[in-house]
Amino acid sequence: MKESMRRAVLILLGSLLGYAALEGLIFHNLYASIIRPDSSAGNVETFIDNELRRARTDANQVLGIGDSRLQGALTPRVANQLRSETGYTFANISTAGSTPRCWYYMLRDVDPAANRYSAIVISVDSYDDAETWEDFADRQTDLHYMIARLRLSDLFEFSGSYHDPQRKWEAFRGILVKGLVYKQDFQHFLLRPALRLAYVKQSRRESVHWFYDYVGSAEDMQGVEVDFAAHTLKIPPDRLAQKPGYEEAFLNPLPPYTGRRGAYLRYWLGKIQARYRGSGTRLVFLRFPRGPVVRPDQPPVIAHSSVRDLAAYPEVTLLPEHFFDSLERPELFLDQLHLNRTGSDQFSAMLAREMRELLGPPR
Amino acid sequence: MLFNSAQFFVFLPVVMVLFYAAPRAARKYILLAASYFFYMSWNPRFVPLLLSLTAIDYASALWIAGCTEPRRKKLFLALSLSANLGFLGFFKYYNFLTGNLTRLLHLPPESLALAIVLPLGISFHTFQSISYVVDVYRGELQPIRNPIDYALFISFFPQLVAGPIVRAREFFEDFYHWKPPETEECLRGILLVLLGLTKKMVLADQFAQISDSYFQNLATHPGAAAAWKGTGSFALQIFFDFSGYTDMAIGMALLLGFHFPVNFRRPYLAFSITDFWHRWHISLSRWLRDYLYIPLGGNRHGKVMTYRNLMLTMLLGGLWHGASWNFIIWGGYHGMLLSLERMFGRERFQEPPRMPVYIFRAVLTFGLVSIGWVFFRAANLTDSLYVLRQMFTAGHFPSSVFIPPWLGWLVVASVLIALLEEKLEWIDRLSRGPAWAYVIAVVVLLFCVELVGVTEKAVPFVYFQF
Repeated sequence: MKESMRRAVLILLGSLLGYAALEGLIFHNLYASIIRPDSSAGNVETFIDNELRRARTDANQVLGIGDSRLQGALTPRVANQLRSETGYTFANISTAGSTPRCWYYMLRDVDPAANRYSAIVISVDSYDDAETWEDFADRQTDLHYMIARLRLSDLFEFSGSYHDPQRKWEAFRGILVKGLVYKQDFQHFLLRPALRLAYVKQSRRESVHWFYDYVGSAEDMQGVEVDFAAHTLKIPPDRLAQKPGYEEAFLNPLPPYTGRRGAYLRYWLGKIQARYRGSGTRLVFLRFPRGPVVRPDQPPVIAHSSVRDLAAYPEVTLLPEHFFDSLERPELFLDQLHLNRTGSDQFSAMLAREMRELLGPPR
Repeated sequence: MLFNSAQFFVFLPVVMVLFYAAPRAARKYILLAASYFFYMSWNPRFVPLLLSLTAIDYASALWIAGCTEPRRKKLFLALSLSANLGFLGFFKYYNFLTGNLTRLLHLPPESLALAIVLPLGISFHTFQSISYVVDVYRGELQPIRNPIDYALFISFFPQLVAGPIVRAREFFEDFYHWKPPETEECLRGILLVLLGLTKKMVLADQFAQISDSYFQNLATHPGAAAAWKGTGSFALQIFFDFSGYTDMAIGMALLLGFHFPVNFRRPYLAFSITDFWHRWHISLSRWLRDYLYIPLGGNRHGKVMTYRNLMLTMLLGGLWHGASWNFIIWGGYHGMLLSLERMFGRERFQEPPRMPVYIFRAVLTFGLVSIGWVFFRAANLTDSLYVLRQMFTAGHFPSSVFIPPWLGWLVVASVLIALLEEKLEWIDRLSRGPAWAYVIAVVVLLFCVELVGVTEKAVPFVYFQF
């Protein structure tokens, strides 16, 4: 290669190196601290940051992790009111819209040495790997939720865990060049930088209380009636907007069993279990209350589902499958998925007491 | 394989490495193979068409050069022109012509229509072929003896699909006296590729979202402000899109040791329509001048004939862009403006005025060009007329007519960069200047693509459809 070409290549490499260094400094390090707190990535950051800064008075800590249902249902304020009875302190980093793939990375960062908690409570929809219409492995938003937590060492595993080649590529380049994923957030930041910084500061100072003191909605599902035989719904006029959601939850056909969901859960829950193997932390799985009414056509029982197989490991416990069945009532649900204020209070208290039973007296 | 796709940024370095690693004699074969691979990545079915046209024009030029009898020369020229224009006419204009015919004869609208897919870049490579054969016919160029060399000239991937329309003389000057690019040329080439990518992904694709949302839902955006916003956005989109593509093509060619002609010279700084056409798609303007306007008589036969020639050239130039009345009207509109400028004194529209007047005239020219873009962008004549009516109808200014502030800042930055380039030629200076300045420029451009560019999908270039 001619000398001139070599020099050009060197300058180009220098440029790329300069770009990579700056990109790394800004988006792999600094930017995470100024993400919009109410964005998906910002939510995850807020929960993890709050949890890492939470003062722990003893080793008897129980952490909940799950999606929006456990986020609303496990109220640490209620569970901790029973501390004199249970001896355990509860925290919750469940994040609306997050998935088991996200939970793995969240737990990795919130508990780097796998020794902070006596138990971690993980909420699942079903013990039978009930299928979903959506392929969770291809959920694009996982990249956006986890972007601040993903490291270059996650490049191949995280992007490789998608099935769709386009999603794999997006995840690959997103982890490598994080600004591509932060793009919208960054453009929003540029509109009003001072306002963003103030909001981040306020969130850092106060969000602990926003979440801890939150009391759930008092709305309930009374008045929504499902006739499974006639395949009809009766909905109060003020709730007609929710009809599609109700139909999907109560009337639409369930996805056929393919094993896809099971393989996904087996991989990511298995990775969580592997992290805590021999750690002294108990992993407790619970089946979340199925809904205000339970449809008769439940998914088939899978004897060797992902969570049932995980229960063979000494550090894994499955709460009895029907433990929360008593909460499956319209007056305790806010909508077809989420518990309301009363439901959450009951759920938190039941869980706190059950954890005491399970874990025994605090250390 | 779009220039702005991930696949292309694997393809290009592979070609570069193979090109420079290969012995000199093998390089043209590598470029030819790469060019055909690039073409086939779009649609391999049209390779026989490209090969046929290449073969016909290659042979025609040799026959023309080998003839002494003018009538036989003309015959071979006619053969080549018929083949080129015949293929172009069939693929591009058949459905337009039959559509108009069925309307005239009151036949069912689709009764004569065929499901024709337009071969990629046909408008560009046929013009390139025609210029080559005509130059040989005129005795201005010796025919190319080696079919591989000629095939490479027609299919060379940086300019195959959307130009610039390179003359054979320019291409073979570089080809037969090939020299590896100097450091400055390499740096300039890389910078142009990156600048083109930035123009496309950061500016064109962003403005495309605004103009698309307007032109695809005209009824939901009434009023003059929305019409000017949509049209102005398209004016910016098409400039950044096409000049971005051209920058990339010129940059890639430079990296391979070829010098393509300049295709854009900051056209929105033009102070007249005449000046605009000296700055916009220069390789097409040059082609139309040399192979259409001048053969028609140019300005040699009095004022009326000059206006007629201008109109004809611009009408055909419009039709070249696409088979629809909209493009013909667009061409006619520009022909009319050029004729008017001629009428009021050519010098006035060729010499830049002094400063305050310059700004006024540049803004006026941008406005006039934007009005023309309405025909270029709107789906049909009815939509075009609707938009024009809206543009000149007093209307309300809802807050939605404003573009996002950061995009506004980008436009301001683009204007400043264009002014700097006009006065200081910063791209050349950067390529020749200190390494640190170059590094900063590259880093800034990369961050622009990363943080502002439309990266969710590779948006096709506007001119690929022509």
